[in-house]
Amino acid sequence: MGRRLLLTFLQTLMTVFAASIVLFALIRLAPGDPAKLLIGRTMEIALDERTYAKMLGEMRTEMGLTGSWFSQYLSWAGSLLRMDLGTSFYTQRAVAAEIGERLPATFLLAGTALLIQVGIGLLIGMLSALHAGTLLDTLVRLGCVLLASVPGFVIGLLLLLALAVKLELYAIGSEAGLSRLWLPALTLGLLGAPQMIRVVRANLLSELGQVYVQSALSRGLGTRRVVGHAMRNVLLSTITLIGLSLTASISGAVVIESIFAWPGLGEYALNGILHKDYPALQGYALVTVLSVVGIHLTVEALYVWLDPRITRRKKEAAHE
Amino acid sequence: MNSRRGSHTLVFGMVMLVLLAVPIFAAPWLSLDDPLAMNAGARLARPSLEHPLGTDRFGRDLLTRTLHGGRTTLLSCGLALGSALAVGMLLGALAGMFHGSWFDIVLMRIIDVLLAFPFMVFAMVIAALFGTSLFHLLLAVVILWWVNFARLTRSIVLNTRKSTSVDAAFVLGISPLRILLKELLPQAFGPVLVLATFELGHLILAIAALSFLGLGSQPPSPEWGSMLADGRAHFMTTPHVLLGPALFIVLTVLAFNCIGEGLRDRIDPYEKHRI
Amino acid sequence: MNRKKLLLPLLFIFVMILWGCSGGGQAASENAAGNRAEAAQADNSAPNSGEAPGTDEKAPQELVIADQEIAAALDPVQPLTSSYLIAIGAGETLFKADPEGKIRPVLADSAEAIDANTWEISLNPEAKFWSGKKVDAEAVVASLERSRELDKQVVPYIQDLTFSAVNASTLQVETARENMDVPLNLSSYQTLIHNAEAAYDSVDTMDLSGMYKVTAFEPQKRMELAVNENYRGTKPAIARVVHEQISDEQTRVLSVLSGASHIAHKLPVSAIEQLQAEDTVTLATTPASNTQTVYLNLDQPKFQDVRVRQALSWGIDRQELILQAAEGQSFPVTTWLSSNPAFAEARSAVYAQYDPEQAGRLLDEAGWVPDGSGIRMKNGEPLTLSLMTWGGDRALGETLQYQWAQLGIQAEIQHGDYSLIETARETGKWDAFIEAWSTFGEPHTLLTGQYSPEGGGNYGGFDDARANELLAQLEGASDEASRHALALEANTYIAEQAPVISLYPRPQVTAVSSTLEGFVDHFRPFENLVNEHLKFVSP
Repeated sequence: MGRRLLLTFLQTLMTVFAASIVLFALIRLAPGDPAKLLIGRTMEIALDERTYAKMLGEMRTEMGLTGSWFSQYLSWAGSLLRMDLGTSFYTQRAVAAEIGERLPATFLLAGTALLIQVGIGLLIGMLSALHAGTLLDTLVRLGCVLLASVPGFVIGLLLLLALAVKLELYAIGSEAGLSRLWLPALTLGLLGAPQMIRVVRANLLSELGQVYVQSALSRGLGTRRVVGHAMRNVLLSTITLIGLSLTASISGAVVIESIFAWPGLGEYALNGILHKDYPALQGYALVTVLSVVGIHLTVEALYVWLDPRITRRKKEAAHE
Repeated sequence: MNSRRGSHTLVFGMVMLVLLAVPIFAAPWLSLDDPLAMNAGARLARPSLEHPLGTDRFGRDLLTRTLHGGRTTLLSCGLALGSALAVGMLLGALAGMFHGSWFDIVLMRIIDVLLAFPFMVFAMVIAALFGTSLFHLLLAVVILWWVNFARLTRSIVLNTRKSTSVDAAFVLGISPLRILLKELLPQAFGPVLVLATFELGHLILAIAALSFLGLGSQPPSPEWGSMLADGRAHFMTTPHVLLGPALFIVLTVLAFNCIGEGLRDRIDPYEKHRI
Repeated sequence: MNRKKLLLPLLFIFVMILWGCSGGGQAASENAAGNRAEAAQADNSAPNSGEAPGTDEKAPQELVIADQEIAAALDPVQPLTSSYLIAIGAGETLFKADPEGKIRPVLADSAEAIDANTWEISLNPEAKFWSGKKVDAEAVVASLERSRELDKQVVPYIQDLTFSAVNASTLQVETARENMDVPLNLSSYQTLIHNAEAAYDSVDTMDLSGMYKVTAFEPQKRMELAVNENYRGTKPAIARVVHEQISDEQTRVLSVLSGASHIAHKLPVSAIEQLQAEDTVTLATTPASNTQTVYLNLDQPKFQDVRVRQALSWGIDRQELILQAAEGQSFPVTTWLSSNPAFAEARSAVYAQYDPEQAGRLLDEAGWVPDGSGIRMKNGEPLTLSLMTWGGDRALGETLQYQWAQLGIQAEIQHGDYSLIETARETGKWDAFIEAWSTFGEPHTLLTGQYSPEGGGNYGGFDDARANELLAQLEGASDEASRHALALEANTYIAEQAPVISLYPRPQVTAVSSTLEGFVDHFRPFENLVNEHLKFVSP
């Protein structure tokens, strides 16, 4: 068990290493000279040519744009290991510090959204499974398909219009306070809910069809206890989905963060695009890659620890 | 019961898709307004007989623009996903066929790396570095999206290869390529088709979201996501500007989701492949 | 199944959330504490009014400004920080442009040109930094030298100036060129005067001179300010100001409509129609002193014919353009310099009205004749034009494309990032793009920057003997009246040659809550958001 985890961990390290090369290469392939972009943006009136050339040379040295690609990558990777993500072109601050300021807001939003999603998923999924085949079940299924077809930003805009502007229940601002959390979290939670409902429903149905449940029921155990027992296994089987949802919330909340002015990573990345702030974007991409990989690793470890049986089954399903 | 419901969903989705696709693809031949023709006198007009969905801030007819936008959205998403599907199936099939070979191992590691990049993040990085355009977004789609198809195809090919008929074919000396094309790949078509249907829905939503952020299609050619982004400013005073594109996005994705559900119930009733 | 193991996934989620909460919550509680302390100190009468603006019965004493972006640092030498610090009343320059474009002293008292190369500036004797240190000549020189050393943006304004302190209240400026307008250069926000000895890494140690003091700061999120009790002039009526960053433009609109903020800055023109329908806000839409300009690549053979360039300008219905792309909130400008209030007389000096017939005639003469389908052709080639736009100019590009298409020109739009335009310029493969340069400043500097062969804004490569001669005369002119006349003459002559096409000044849309009184519309809104006369009234 320990060896398997170690192996997975090493594989993960390789993945991160390869991802960093991909990012580095992408930025070097991009058109335009970052040093020129950086100077060009700040100059409102052009300087004479000599001053400009001198400034450009200084800037290139400062930004580590001299030397071969290989040595540039090495020095870049070296600074990454020291948690140094470079300096933002736009704000001139350390990217690591800027991301550090925004990470809590993103995790807070993603975590709360996840709770809402899991809550809705468990409740509705269980109801739907227990009443399989009834009108309620059909309605839930229909609702899920419909909800999964609506773009997230449309839901967000409608909620914002209704709750913030018409009913004035929600204050628009820029802080990551708890009073501002519920609406974006609700939106994100709603967006992830259909998937959760379906998985819970499908898994609970298959659990209820298992021999042990049938025999327990025939031995006269109360439905509630049996379902409760089955739900534990269902919960286990949702770990993968929870991991995926968390990934989606951390990376894909850009639109929601933008609509609700939630000062998280997504907003940071959008500003980075706007200002052509390569280091900021690079930092953002690296942090998301790290979280994705970290979440995968955690999910894996949880499975190994919780139930080796399931691990084997999952592995087979995924890799055969 | 299951299969009957599957048929209903499938038929419903198909009918809806046809109802949407016919006007969208016939738009150039219908006698509609020019999607680019401006009319400063009829800015943000409410729906009327002349303009069934109203007009936008330039006085352009929204029905025409929505239909033309649908062509852009459907064609580009379909093309990108089709390319991703072709690449994914090919690589996945080869990896499954030569399970355990260096090719398989390298491919799986590449897939691991690509899986570490969420699509939104990758698309944003591409847009920031190479410029915002629909083409760059679609490039990002092809680069990342083949992975899902490759993994599915690989697992199906691997499963099927274990079956006796394939072993028998090997014994009879039939070339591996022939086995792959005749025996193994056909097994994958069904599940891949189901997956593709769902992914097309996801893709339309993802592209709409990125266009909404201003990272996708550029003016003046209409596209649903950017039409929504444009209309957002007039949402509160003239909400009808969002009606056309929003409704078409929802209905199209719904159609694909229904078709996907129906197909899955038919092809893979026990959700064996966890599509 | 072991019960303990089952709890683990839930525990994991719980820990994640706790982590998130503790980070966000900590910041929030620190803020709240800061808020309360400040409230107690600055405004004893209404200590709680700031906590929920809009919900209190009494008029709120906290002004909330929602901006596209706020400062990323406290140090004025960091990019754009000085403009934000000035906009919210924390920082000051020696001089400042008033809403009419006149230069007024702020930290200075007066300025006088001793000879063609020397200026003497006397300082306001009352002026003090927040720390109580006097803003004397030594301090001003130290501040400007610190900016020169650390802020690349300030270079264009002071590279030809040498500063020295004559005595405590008098500053002498030597200029490398003759007849420079020193007060104008020292009114740019990059020359913000700050205490060069202070440390700018925290709100407690930073030292500026404005009427508001920074009390709390989260980079690119939120800056809180309170009245500077020792301010020399009229103290502002509103006790506290919050400058907060809401990057999404539509969310800023919603923020001011919902009452969560009182001033929403840098709104999109497309929001005007929606904001006009609301009676809870008033709109300030002063066009900035810059000119939306189509730059043409004069290396392209088709644009070397002056008639084609003139036709492009005649063929633009600027009124419709302003309606479609700026919601009617601007005015047509046919010569580049005339968006500057001082040159308003030249606004319709050349292409006075929309004249598609004239445009058609010019194109016919130039040999571009319409074919059967209305597209203008010459030697079997259609007249095409690829126009690059970026930022908020999307609607402008779309409308121009449509108008030129009516003339038989196949125009296409490339809307994207500014970097695309920069890349295209480097390779020389471009037809036209839209940019808006500021027209506020010294006419000679501005015009040479745009139209002399080595000008940094002369993207198209305009090189005209008559224009160069007029610019040389302008540089040599010694009195204000002849400078003005020569600038006008050069401006009109160049507009006739049409190396660029001037359209209209870009409007700056700011929404102001109707509970707020005294907001002053300024053509440089990015440094004029608050003033001492702002106050809350019951609507």
